[in-house]
Amino acid sequence: MKHNKSKSELDYKDLTQSDKDLVAKLVKGGFSRREVLKLSMVTGVSLVAAEHLLTDGKAVMAATPKKGGTVRMASSLHGPDDQTDPPQFTSTIDYTRGRAVYNGLIQHANDLTPQPELATSFEPNADATEWTFKLRKGVDWHDGSKFTADDVVWSMNRHLTEDSTSVIKSVLATVKEWKKVGSHEVKAVMHSPNADLPTLLGMFQNKVVKDGTKGDWIGTGPYTMESFQPGVKSVHKRNENYWREGANLDAIEVTGITDTVARVNALIAGDMQLVVQIDPKAFRQVEGADGVTLLSTPAALQLGICILKNTKPGESDDFVKGMQYIQDRKRIVKRVLKGKGSLGNDTPISGAHGNDWCNELPQREFDPDKAKFHFKKSGESGAELFVAPVTPGIEDAALLAQANCAKIGFDLKLKKVPNDGYWGAVWMKEPMNVVTWNMRPTANSQMAIQFGPGGNWNDTFWNNDRMGELLKLSLAETDTAKRHAMYCEMQTLIHEGSGMVIPAFSNINDGIANNVMGMPTVPLGQLGACEWPEFIWLA
Amino acid sequence: MMLRMVWQRLGIGLATLWVVSVIVFVATSILPGDVAQIILGQAATPETLAAMRAELGLDQPGYIRYFSWLGNMMTGDLGISKAGGATISSLIGGRIGNTMMMAGLVAIISIPISVALGLWAAMHPGTWLDRIVTFGTLSLISVPEFFIATVAVLILAVHLHWLPSTAYMSGDETFGQLMKALAMPLITLVIVVSAQMIRMTRAGILNVMSSPYIEMAILKGVPRGRIILRHAFFNAIGPIINVIALNLAYLVSGVVIVETIFAYPGLAKLMIDGVQTRDLPLVQACAMIFCGTYVVLILIADVGSIVSNPRLRSPK
Repeated sequence: MKHNKSKSELDYKDLTQSDKDLVAKLVKGGFSRREVLKLSMVTGVSLVAAEHLLTDGKAVMAATPKKGGTVRMASSLHGPDDQTDPPQFTSTIDYTRGRAVYNGLIQHANDLTPQPELATSFEPNADATEWTFKLRKGVDWHDGSKFTADDVVWSMNRHLTEDSTSVIKSVLATVKEWKKVGSHEVKAVMHSPNADLPTLLGMFQNKVVKDGTKGDWIGTGPYTMESFQPGVKSVHKRNENYWREGANLDAIEVTGITDTVARVNALIAGDMQLVVQIDPKAFRQVEGADGVTLLSTPAALQLGICILKNTKPGESDDFVKGMQYIQDRKRIVKRVLKGKGSLGNDTPISGAHGNDWCNELPQREFDPDKAKFHFKKSGESGAELFVAPVTPGIEDAALLAQANCAKIGFDLKLKKVPNDGYWGAVWMKEPMNVVTWNMRPTANSQMAIQFGPGGNWNDTFWNNDRMGELLKLSLAETDTAKRHAMYCEMQTLIHEGSGMVIPAFSNINDGIANNVMGMPTVPLGQLGACEWPEFIWLA
Repeated sequence: MMLRMVWQRLGIGLATLWVVSVIVFVATSILPGDVAQIILGQAATPETLAAMRAELGLDQPGYIRYFSWLGNMMTGDLGISKAGGATISSLIGGRIGNTMMMAGLVAIISIPISVALGLWAAMHPGTWLDRIVTFGTLSLISVPEFFIATVAVLILAVHLHWLPSTAYMSGDETFGQLMKALAMPLITLVIVVSAQMIRMTRAGILNVMSSPYIEMAILKGVPRGRIILRHAFFNAIGPIINVIALNLAYLVSGVVIVETIFAYPGLAKLMIDGVQTRDLPLVQACAMIFCGTYVVLILIADVGSIVSNPRLRSPK
């Protein structure tokens, strides 16, 4: 617990986010002598201070969000390609503006369960070939017109047409079409059953725009768009007619600071209240600064290496095993990610995916002897890995692998390339390349996208028929135990057979000012998957 | 005579612009990936790529795209950004103002300081003060601008909290607030630009000081200050104007590092963004502006040195 005041004066708002979470948990736990003792023991503050903290914390948490104030947020990337149209959203700054201006049918809670937003209820028919959505009444667009089923049908069908340029066209491929049922009721007709449809509808690109428009920043959301300058900033004002509580701030300003050092400095200097993507090298600087907190949310942001299975050297299973055993996973989490991450088990699913994570699959350990054995069996004495800084820490992880390879006499060459153009020119083309993926809301969509046989983004070119079968079957399975068994079988298949090396998952690491309250922690993207505009308030 | 030279220079300038446009077009086309691939990024599929290329007109051959761009440019239509869909003129509009404001402010501060310090150092060559100026400027030229910028942020913003760490403009601030927001990039650029101009001013004048007519003036007993201000300065003005012009051109087009560190929305950063997204019309428009700036500034510098030099004003 870091602070400048003497311990008895320490208030709840001075705490770091993790300490706040602890206090919140204890307050909910009952706030008896036991909780006071526990807080005192864990944090090392005196009993008096602990009691004060709990009282103060309870008051702050019980307090209704205060209205007013302006918050500035700095993303990591922005430019003339900042988008206005939800199906084209590709970066955090787009998602944030989308979240502020528009609404979706569904939104994700912190635990990734789908919550009704513009839809008030959603139900499948008996065989899940149709989903019916009842829509909220009395919702107005920012230009004053009424929200109806026509808007939803228009917005959702834009992902499905032949000439659609939607980023998530293939994610929604199980939907055949959207139909209007009544003025405030729509249904999705499916090609094949999909129990995960509501969760997928919470994705950033599924925001509802007005019938016949391409967004144009007319939404139903908590904030209106006052000014939008691509690559400079956008300014948003509170939507006074918003259809539910929320939108506590008077205004928000969304900008980008591409330089990582400058972004951290802007947070510490107080120019920005929210900044995304703190580099592991800057953790200590943020944690040591006054008035700001490092918000680290466990997520399934993979530090991955794709080894193509359809070409040399990856077609040899032994080569892949060699690359997997040479990963010093614990060291990557501890040193490269500075503890803000979790171990990877060469599958794209982590604890952040909840029940669908196969916890019982034995963890693959760092084992240079096994690596040496498998490399030898594969007949390879060296290989080339293409590395671009696609996610923080990936370059250092590659360097670590190179050093460990050298110790067992294997020559791992690192070919450093820029991010610029990486996804078109290197990824899925070079025999061995680094990769990362935004975390998908369901384990099924996460595995389907990378490991579905013949899929567009099967980035290790590993095609397994059983995998394809299980991906379909599991979507229709409603029995929890059977479902988990299926997900475990899929993760085992990937763990054993694919060309994917995933030594670690990074947390999502953002910086926030300590007076920002009510921060959501949805693990699907930066700053609570950009859900913050509707929920935060300033203490 | 002089008019003919101006016209000639303008003609060469236009030819340069055209060559630059071809080079930029070809160079950007050679880079891996096109704008559709960059926008869709990791999420690209063959179908969505084809759909987006058709929508943006990228399925046409390169030379057709080049000439349609050139034709539109001639009629003053800069086109539409392929990456975001905004018009190029709206993207450039605000930023050109920002860039010119920054360049102008830096020029207003740094030119008088540099010329004065350069003159002053030249008047007292070999003294301690001169040595401090020479050594100081040499060190500052050798230090890269991102280092100066980062150190300035660390001291003035992060530790002392005197100035904001980014040049964030909300658009409705008073002049004082604006100056505070811009203070950090201004300080950095003034340091970078002045160091070079001071040295050139000093060197230019000392160079003239070794010529025979100055020796004559010294022998006649004219005071050193008067020699420099009345005789040497006007003969050294040609090279000084040239250095100033080059530095101004740098301030317009080359300050991308400073713009990035302070998140200042200027033109140079816009061009880099354009290159990263393979947004050809945007890159072309920025390249034309930068090239045009160079042509005009160098023309002004040439005219300036001719006007200041009677021998060039009326050649035999």
